[in-house]
Amino acid sequence: MFLFDNLSILFLFLIILGVVPNLFYSFGYLPHIRRKAYYLIHYFAFIISMMGVVIAGNALVFLFFWELMSLTSWQLILTQIEDKSTIKAARFYFFMTHFGFMFLLLFFLIVTNGDLDISFAQMKVITSNFAYPTLLFFFVVLGLASKAGAVPMHVWLPYAHPAAPSPVSALMSGIMLKVAIYGFFRFMFDIFGVWQLEWGIFILIMGAISSLVGVLYALSEHDIKALLANHSIENIGIIFIGFGMGMIFSSLKLPALSAFAFIAALFHTFNHMSFKSLLFMGAGSVLHETSTKNMEKYGGLIKAMPITAFTFLLASISISALPPTNGFLSEWMIFQSLLGSANIDNISLKLAIPFSIFALALTGGLAIACFVKVFGITFLGLHRSTNAKHAHEVNILMKIGMILMSLVVVSLMLFTPFYIKLFDSTINALMNISIYDKIIPNIWSLHSISNNGGVVSPLILLAGLVVLTLILYIFYKSLNIKHRIFHTWACGYNTSPVTQYSATGFAGPIRRFFTWLYDPDIHFEKEVILGHKTKFVDARFSVHVRPLFERSLYQSSIKLTNKISYYVYRLAHFEQSRYAAMIFNMLLSVLFSYRIFVHEFSWATLVLESVVMIISVKVLLVGGKE
Amino acid sequence: MILYTTTIILMIVIAPLLPSFMKMVKMTLLYKKPISIFQGYRDFSKLLSKEIIVSKETSSITSMAPFLVLSPLILTLFFLPPIVKGEYFVSFIDAFTITGLISLSTFFLMILGLDSASSFGGLGSSREAFISALAEPAMILTVFSVSLMADNLGVGQASINLNNHFPFEHMASFIFAGISFFILLIAENGRIPVDNPETHLELTMVHEAMILDLSGFYLMLIESASSIKFMIFSSMFASLFMPFGLHLPIILGVLVFILKLFFIALLVALLEVNTAKLRLFKIPNLLGIAIVFAFLSLITFYVLGV
Repeated sequence: MFLFDNLSILFLFLIILGVVPNLFYSFGYLPHIRRKAYYLIHYFAFIISMMGVVIAGNALVFLFFWELMSLTSWQLILTQIEDKSTIKAARFYFFMTHFGFMFLLLFFLIVTNGDLDISFAQMKVITSNFAYPTLLFFFVVLGLASKAGAVPMHVWLPYAHPAAPSPVSALMSGIMLKVAIYGFFRFMFDIFGVWQLEWGIFILIMGAISSLVGVLYALSEHDIKALLANHSIENIGIIFIGFGMGMIFSSLKLPALSAFAFIAALFHTFNHMSFKSLLFMGAGSVLHETSTKNMEKYGGLIKAMPITAFTFLLASISISALPPTNGFLSEWMIFQSLLGSANIDNISLKLAIPFSIFALALTGGLAIACFVKVFGITFLGLHRSTNAKHAHEVNILMKIGMILMSLVVVSLMLFTPFYIKLFDSTINALMNISIYDKIIPNIWSLHSISNNGGVVSPLILLAGLVVLTLILYIFYKSLNIKHRIFHTWACGYNTSPVTQYSATGFAGPIRRFFTWLYDPDIHFEKEVILGHKTKFVDARFSVHVRPLFERSLYQSSIKLTNKISYYVYRLAHFEQSRYAAMIFNMLLSVLFSYRIFVHEFSWATLVLESVVMIISVKVLLVGGKE
Repeated sequence: MILYTTTIILMIVIAPLLPSFMKMVKMTLLYKKPISIFQGYRDFSKLLSKEIIVSKETSSITSMAPFLVLSPLILTLFFLPPIVKGEYFVSFIDAFTITGLISLSTFFLMILGLDSASSFGGLGSSREAFISALAEPAMILTVFSVSLMADNLGVGQASINLNNHFPFEHMASFIFAGISFFILLIAENGRIPVDNPETHLELTMVHEAMILDLSGFYLMLIESASSIKFMIFSSMFASLFMPFGLHLPIILGVLVFILKLFFIALLVALLEVNTAKLRLFKIPNLLGIAIVFAFLSLITFYVLGV
């Protein structure tokens, strides 16, 4: 019923690493929550259900805990029910998560032959005999990617994460999305075992698109938690790039490279858990103090909340993949596995993979821009509202939570060899190949596995940076320079909060460059004096980005459903002669399709019969003018 | 090891010469009375003796960030390709790490810009974020392509391999990568046509806007960071795209290397005199060209085969 192999224990470890600091933070956050008992029951049930998913040994237990995880997180989103948008976000989340659940259920019904009690090993036998494995693969992708938040099933994240209380956002983004990644590892290795080349390419493309879309929407966001939620999409994309490369290498029979890519994906999974939880905690503390999620209302918080600010800075540097942090190390590994594509013989694949390198590099660059924006606008400068002015540091429990989580981030950076060893033993159990000695020949450096690959040494980078900064600092101190305090130069005017750069303004150039994606809805109101529009007295500028995928995929499918239901409605009100005509047309189409698809196929008859069908439908069903 | 340390110190010492040299060339070409080539040193010594004026709106970031802007760049100098034969070098550091270290420095510079609550700072950071985000993919793709040609991902080893046997069959992709890298050299260092280092006009400035509120020692740190950044890029260009002179005797080798640096500075100066600054929203076109050339370089390399 339960399974404790390497993979399960690894993800159990991930959950515990993420949950322990979160417990402290959550209890510090508790005074902010009105319905405490409600919150606590669902909070603990949520944690237990996530643990249940990763140790589930058969389909029934897996599905039970999966559904419990969805339902408890849905209820947790509804904790602060006063807000109207919360209910909408929760409904959307409920729908999306059950959309995924349906596909998982379908998948399990097929691979277990209806007997949900059998183990993963027995499922593997049934799967290998199943005629259409690609169908199963797409069930898995739809089922798990809608939970993980990969494009195009990512639309619920920017709604659900901001609506949930901050400790829950940290759990959902940090851990729940990783449970879906666990599902990918478990299903791909233990149920499929072998996979086709196209699957890996599909995952790789999905990852590359997710990473770009996530970071681009994050840049245009000014709700701090929605911004972080969009960054989760980006990081899930990066994990999928690693995972996809692993699958591609594995189907091309390059096991060492494949193991390297999978280890990179696992490493990034851990890293994302650490820094994203920390970022959500920081955002939660800021939200706790200022009671607003709008970044334009923050500013200057570093003076009042130094611990929040510096832990947030650490996480920002890490998520921007800047050396020597852990985020950099895992992205470096993913880059190295992409660069390993030079060893592939398939020339078209070889030419295509640089586009992923491009996507990942651009993502990195935009992530830096985005986190400069978040950190700079939130914590630096002057306060932009009275709430920000009166903010002070959060309580001791929340501080402990943030400090513990930053210790997790630092440990992932300092003890990389230990973590790699852990991932390697997991991959070894799944793929029977151990490459730990090749990645880490000594504890100083991390080696790429491909021919003539690169090397990075996190400890030397860190030590180098610290030593150089210290030397510069000592040199500066020894000069004993005089300091003078004066105000910022503002062209002769006084510096004021309103003349600072805003978050919207900061992302302005990038928003303008990617207008085709954002399709922004811009309002620019100017005060009118004596019939003349002025610009300087009281002007209001607001930009709202219209999410492309939501608009094209979701709204249009709603429109399509509406249209279809309209026709169904019209059908239901036909007179009897029309019903007879419908039956006749149905019969005709069944006969024709039998002839075309089963009996014998020829293009000529297909065209002929289609023409006959269209005429018959037009004459009998649609009829003349009404 | 002594040689290694000496070359790094040499690079730090001659770094301020290059911007002054470019300015000198430009002024000569514009029929102005040129500044001395040692102007950089004079500026630094002047800034060292001045007091620091800290704005009261700033936080502790202003007193930390200038150090963190400079130190990753100095660290990058340790990982650059060797400039003379027999020198110890760090062979393994790849393009991604070097790009990362440069981005780390840019990250702190951008944060510094937002710290003083001045609209200039935000303006500069916003533009810098825009430009450096688009420059990053081109940088990684270009250096990756060169590393492939040199048969090693480590930048140091790649430069040695290129020196030992230059891959003439991949000349086309080599030149494409060279063009792409030269555009990056201009974009990342804020030279015309991307940014004008001499202007203090809010319409055009990028780098200067971020550091408008710094003075004294802090300003010196940032100024030396920008001259070291130019040093990093020009020395990478010299080692990777002008792969000769490594086998000369030590003194001659260093001389050839310095000549190469000044040649690159001359090229940049000539380009600066002959072009106007681009509008901010035209810069992506330029960087797009760099990205396209980087792709072309990779694709021609793959198609021609190893």
